[in-house]
Amino acid sequence: MSQSPHHKSFTARLRAHKIFGGIKPAVYKADALRSRVMPAPLPGNLVLPLLQHQGQPAMAVVEVGQAVLKYQVLAMGNGPLSVPVHAPTSGVITAIADSAVPGFGAQVQRCIHLQADGLDTAAELQPCLDYRALSHLQLLALIDAAGICGLGGAGFPTAEKLRVSIEQGVELLIINAAECEPYISADESLIRERADRVVSGAEILQSVCLAKRCVIAIEKDKADAIEALSTALQDSSIELLVLNSKFPTGGERQIIQAVTGFEVPRGLLPVDAGILVQNAGTAYAVHNAIVEGKPCISRITTLTGSPLQTPKNFEALIGTPVSFLFEMCGIDKSQHTGTIMGGSLMGIELDSDEVPLIKTTNCLLAKSTGEFPDPAPEQACIRCGYCADVCPARLLPQQLYAFSRSEDLDQLEEHGLADCIECGACAYVCPSHIPLVQYYRASKQAIAERDRQFQTSKQWQSRFQFHQYRLKKETTKALDKKLPGAEKTTANEPAQPFSRDQARDEIAAAVRRVAARHSNRTAPSSAKDKAKDKDRH
Amino acid sequence: MGRIVTSSPMQHGSLDTNRIMLLVVAACLPGVLIGTWFFGYGILINISLAVIAALVLEACLVKIRGREPRLYLADNSALVTAVLFGIAIPPGSQWSLLLMGIAFAIVIGKHAFGGLGQNAFNPAMCGYLFLLLTFPLEMTSWHIPNDAIVAGSSFSPIAWQGFLQALLLTFPFLTSDPSGIQATVDGLAMATPLIEFKMAGPNALRAAQENGLSLFARSSQTGWELVNFGYLLGGLFLLFKRIINWHIPVSILATIVVLSILFYAPGSTSIYGTTYLHLFGSATMIGAFFIATDPVSAATTNKGRLVYGIIIGASIYAIRVWGSYLDSIAIAVLFGNFCAPLLDHFCRPRLYGENRPLPTTENLPRAAAENNEPGS
Amino acid sequence: MYPLIDTIYVQVISGSLVLLLAAHLGLKIWQALLRQRLLQRSLLERINRLLPQTQCGQCGYEGCLPYAREICRGDAINKCPPGGPETIVRLAALMHRPVEPLNPAHGQVKPFAVAVIREAECIGCTKCIQACPVDAIIGGPKLMHTVIEQECTGCDLCVEPCPVDCIDMISRAWGNPVIWLLPSSGVGVRQQLDTAV
Ligand code: SF4
Ligand code: SF4
Ligand code: SF4
Repeated sequence: MSQSPHHKSFTARLRAHKIFGGIKPAVYKADALRSRVMPAPLPGNLVLPLLQHQGQPAMAVVEVGQAVLKYQVLAMGNGPLSVPVHAPTSGVITAIADSAVPGFGAQVQRCIHLQADGLDTAAELQPCLDYRALSHLQLLALIDAAGICGLGGAGFPTAEKLRVSIEQGVELLIINAAECEPYISADESLIRERADRVVSGAEILQSVCLAKRCVIAIEKDKADAIEALSTALQDSSIELLVLNSKFPTGGERQIIQAVTGFEVPRGLLPVDAGILVQNAGTAYAVHNAIVEGKPCISRITTLTGSPLQTPKNFEALIGTPVSFLFEMCGIDKSQHTGTIMGGSLMGIELDSDEVPLIKTTNCLLAKSTGEFPDPAPEQACIRCGYCADVCPARLLPQQLYAFSRSEDLDQLEEHGLADCIECGACAYVCPSHIPLVQYYRASKQAIAERDRQFQTSKQWQSRFQFHQYRLKKETTKALDKKLPGAEKTTANEPAQPFSRDQARDEIAAAVRRVAARHSNRTAPSSAKDKAKDKDRH
Repeated sequence: MGRIVTSSPMQHGSLDTNRIMLLVVAACLPGVLIGTWFFGYGILINISLAVIAALVLEACLVKIRGREPRLYLADNSALVTAVLFGIAIPPGSQWSLLLMGIAFAIVIGKHAFGGLGQNAFNPAMCGYLFLLLTFPLEMTSWHIPNDAIVAGSSFSPIAWQGFLQALLLTFPFLTSDPSGIQATVDGLAMATPLIEFKMAGPNALRAAQENGLSLFARSSQTGWELVNFGYLLGGLFLLFKRIINWHIPVSILATIVVLSILFYAPGSTSIYGTTYLHLFGSATMIGAFFIATDPVSAATTNKGRLVYGIIIGASIYAIRVWGSYLDSIAIAVLFGNFCAPLLDHFCRPRLYGENRPLPTTENLPRAAAENNEPGS
Repeated sequence: MYPLIDTIYVQVISGSLVLLLAAHLGLKIWQALLRQRLLQRSLLERINRLLPQTQCGQCGYEGCLPYAREICRGDAINKCPPGGPETIVRLAALMHRPVEPLNPAHGQVKPFAVAVIREAECIGCTKCIQACPVDAIIGGPKLMHTVIEQECTGCDLCVEPCPVDCIDMISRAWGNPVIWLLPSSGVGVRQQLDTAV
C-alpha cells in the first residue's frame, strides 16, 4: 500500500486518446459475424491440459477410470498462479498423460483425457442470487474456484490479478473489448448478443477490485456491439468508451493509453498506476461463475478462414479438439494449409490440429494459400523507418533488427528490446518482408539464456571461492591447534601446483584404505577425520 | 536444437521495397521530362545508359557475392541509384565517364559495403563525387544545344536533330568528325544559374525575368526553375504516398530558407543569392526530396532526420556561398551520411512509458483521498 | 535592411553555434564512453567471466580463475573442455588471438551432466565431499551423501574418488529448449563456431 494512485484527473482524461504507432490492417470479421454464437456439439473425447495459461499447472484430483459429472473439479489450483480445471461434460477419465497442447512448436503437457458419455449429467450448481450480499473477498474466492483466467489471449489467472489489485488499490477498471485483431470476432459477437451479462460481469469485477470507475472500451467499427452495450449500460454506473480502430489498441498498455492518455511507466505494472484491465470475455465468465455458479468450462471462439464453409463463433467446451471444431464448420481439407490459434497478427501457428481448445483460444484460423501465401523472401532492410512509425512501444525495430542480426545482446537491451510486445505491427509494414518478430523472439530467448548462464556461473564461482577460503581457514586452524591433520592439509595447499597424478595417487590410496575398511566394516574412523568433519558440518 | 518455429504476424501490408523504389523513379518523372523539354535528350540518354549499366553490374556483383541475382535485382534499388546518378551527370557527358561513375557507385558505393542496406553512403552521390573529383572540367560543362541558351529562341532541343546531337555527344565514336558535333552543340560550358550567378554576377536569370519571357520559352534559366518545380511536385507526391517522411526535406529546405534570408545581400558583387534563387536556382529540390531521403544512408529516427536535414541544409548553403565547389548537394549529402550513425544512436525517441510519472495528480496520502471520495 | 547579417557576425554566430553543437555532442560521447569504462573490468575478470566456472581442473589448473590468470600470462586459450568451442571463440575475440580447436589433451566436449549419488550404495566415506570444488555434496561420515543438483557444476571430480563407484553423471538439458532461431542464423559467431569445433 505504499503507492497511492488516485486521480480525480481520470474524470477529465477518459476519452478516446491516440496510441503510439499502430496499423490499420484490412479486417475480415464479417464472415464469422454473419451467424449468431452457437453452442458447439459435444465431442466424444476431451483433452484438458493442466496448464492453460501463464503460471503453474493445476494438480489433478481425479483418477483414471473415475466417472465425473459436468462442472466437477478435475484439478485443483496449485499456488496463486494456478487455476482449477473443471469437467466440461460428464464422462470417464481415460488417461492423465502428456499430450500435445497448443503452443509454439510441438509442445506437450500433462493433460486429463475425458471420454464423454453423452448424457451431460451436471453436478448441482450453486448460483448466487445477489452477489451484492457477498463481500469482495468472498467473490474473489468464488472467482478463484471457478478456474477463470484472462480469456483475451494472454491468460493471466484472473483471481490473482484481482487479489493484487485489491492489495494495491485500483482506481479504474477497464473492460477491454477492443478486439483489434483483423480476424477475431469472439468478443464482438459475445457483446452483440449477451451485452447484459458482460455488463453484469463487469459490475461484479468492479465490486471485487473496488475500483471507483469502470469503463468498457470498444473500437468504433463494432456498431452492433456498441448499440447493444449502450442499451445494457442504461442504468449502470459503468461508462462506455468508443475508441478509434487501430491495431494493437487491445494490448494492455495500449488500451490504457487509449482510454486514459497515460503511459504506464516503464518497468511498472498497470496495477502500480492504479489501473486494472480485464477482457470482455473474462467479464462474461465471471458473470457465469458468480450469478449462475458455472465454472469456466466453455468459451466463445471464432472459427474462420477461407477453407471453412460456415465460419462462425462457437461457444465450445474447453478441451474440444481443434480438428473436431473445424469439421463442424465444414472444412475443405484440400484448401487447408495450416492453423493459427489467435489472430493473424499475434497468433500462434499450430503444429497439428489434434490439440484441444484451451481457455485462452479466442480464435482458430484455418489458413489457405489464397489468403495466407508463403511469406515473401526476406530482403535487405532499407532503414525506411516505417516500422518505427508504427511501433506502439516506440522502439526502433530497424535498429533492433540490426543488433539481432549481429547478436549484439547488450545493444538490444539498451534499445529496449524487453519492451517489445511482439505485436507484429513492424513486420506487417516492413516493405522488405523481414520477419522482425522472429528476430526479436530469438534474441529475447538468447538474452534470457545468457542471463541464466551468467547467474549460474557466478554462483559456481562464488562457491568455488568460498571452498578455497574454507580450506585455507581450516588449514590455519589446524596448524594453530596443532592437530594431527595439519601437516597433511598443508601438503594440499593451493599454493602448490596442482598435480593430477598426485591427486590420482592419493585417491587410489584412499580407495585402497576404504576398501580395506569396507572389508572389516568395524574399523573406527580416525580421530583426524572426525575433527575435520566436525569443522565442516 | 529445437524446431524452427515461424513467428507471427502471418499477414502483411501491401507496400514492398520494389514498389517503393518504382514509386521513387515515377516521382522523378516530372522533373526529368521538364528537363528534357528545356535541355534536350541528353538527360534521358544519361539515365538509360546508367540504368542498363547499373542493372548489369548489380547482377554480376550479386552473383559474385554468391546470392540469387533475380531476388536482388527485384528490389529495384540499383534502378533508383542509376536514375539519380543519370540526372546528376551533365547531359552530353561521354559514355566512358558515365560508365566509370556508375561502376564506382555500384561497386564501391554499394557492394563494397555489403550491398543494399549496408551502404553507409548514398551510392549515386559516391559515383557523382568520384567523377567530380577526377574530371572537374567535364563535370561542370553542360552541353546544351546553342540555341537553347538564347532566351526566347524558337529552337527545339527535342526535335530529332537534337536527339541525334545528344546521342553523338555521348557516343562520339559514332561519327567520323566528333569535333564538328562539338562545334555545333557545345556552344557554352554552363552550369546551373546559381553557379553562373556565383561566377558572373546576377545577370542571366534576372535578365530573363525582366525581359518578361513566358514560362515555357526555352531558356536555360527559366528551365532550371521549372525543373525544380518538377522535382518539388514529385517530392510532394512521395510525401503524399508516405514513401518518405517530411522530416528530411522540410528541415533541409527550412535551413536553406533561414540561412539565405539571414545572409542575403543585394548588389551585383555579392555572392549571397536570394532565397528564391537558392531554392529553385539549382538542384536543391532533387537533393532535398530524392537524394537526401535515400533511407539506407540517412538517419533512421525522426528526431535524427531533423538534425540530419539541418546538417545537410547548412552544408549546402555553406559550400555554395563560401566553398570553392560549384554545386554542393553531393558533398553535403555525403557529409550528412557521415553523421547518420551517430544521430541514430543519440536521437532515439522516448520509449512508451519511459520517464513517465505514475498517474498520481496530487501526492495526497490515500486516507485523505478516501475522505474526499464519499462526497463526490 | 540588407544584409541582415554582416560577414563578421556570420562567422561569430555560425562559429559559436558549431562550437556549441560540437561541445554538446562531445559531452554526450564522453558520457557514453565513461559509462562503458565503468562497465569494463580488468582483463583477468573479463577472461574469468567467459570461462564456464565448472571448476573441473581439466585445464590443468585448480579452477577457472587460476586458468584465467594463466591466460593473462599467455597460456593457450583452448584448454577448457566444458566451455567448448563457444568459449574459445569468445576468448579469441577478447585476446585478439586466432581461433584454435580444443586441445584434445585436456578432454572432449561433453554434454552437460550433473552428478547423482546412488544413495543406497553410498557408504558415507566423505571422499566426494572433499573432491567437490563447490561444496555441492552434503552428508556426514558414515551417513548417506547426496548432491545438491542446482549447485553441481558437472565437473566429474567426485566420480573418481568414490570407492564404491556409486556416482553417476546424468546428462541434463543445459538451459531452456531453443524455440526461436534467428532467421539469419548461420552468420556471425555461428560460422566461427564451426571452424572451432
Ligand atoms: S520497415 Fe523493414 S525495411 Fe523498413 S526500416 Fe523497418 S525493418 Fe527496415
Ligand atoms: S513487435 Fe515489438 S518492435 Fe514490432 S511494432 Fe510491435 S512492439 Fe514494436
Ligand atoms: S577446464 Fe574446468 S576448471 Fe579449467 S577453465 Fe574450464 S571449466 Fe574451469
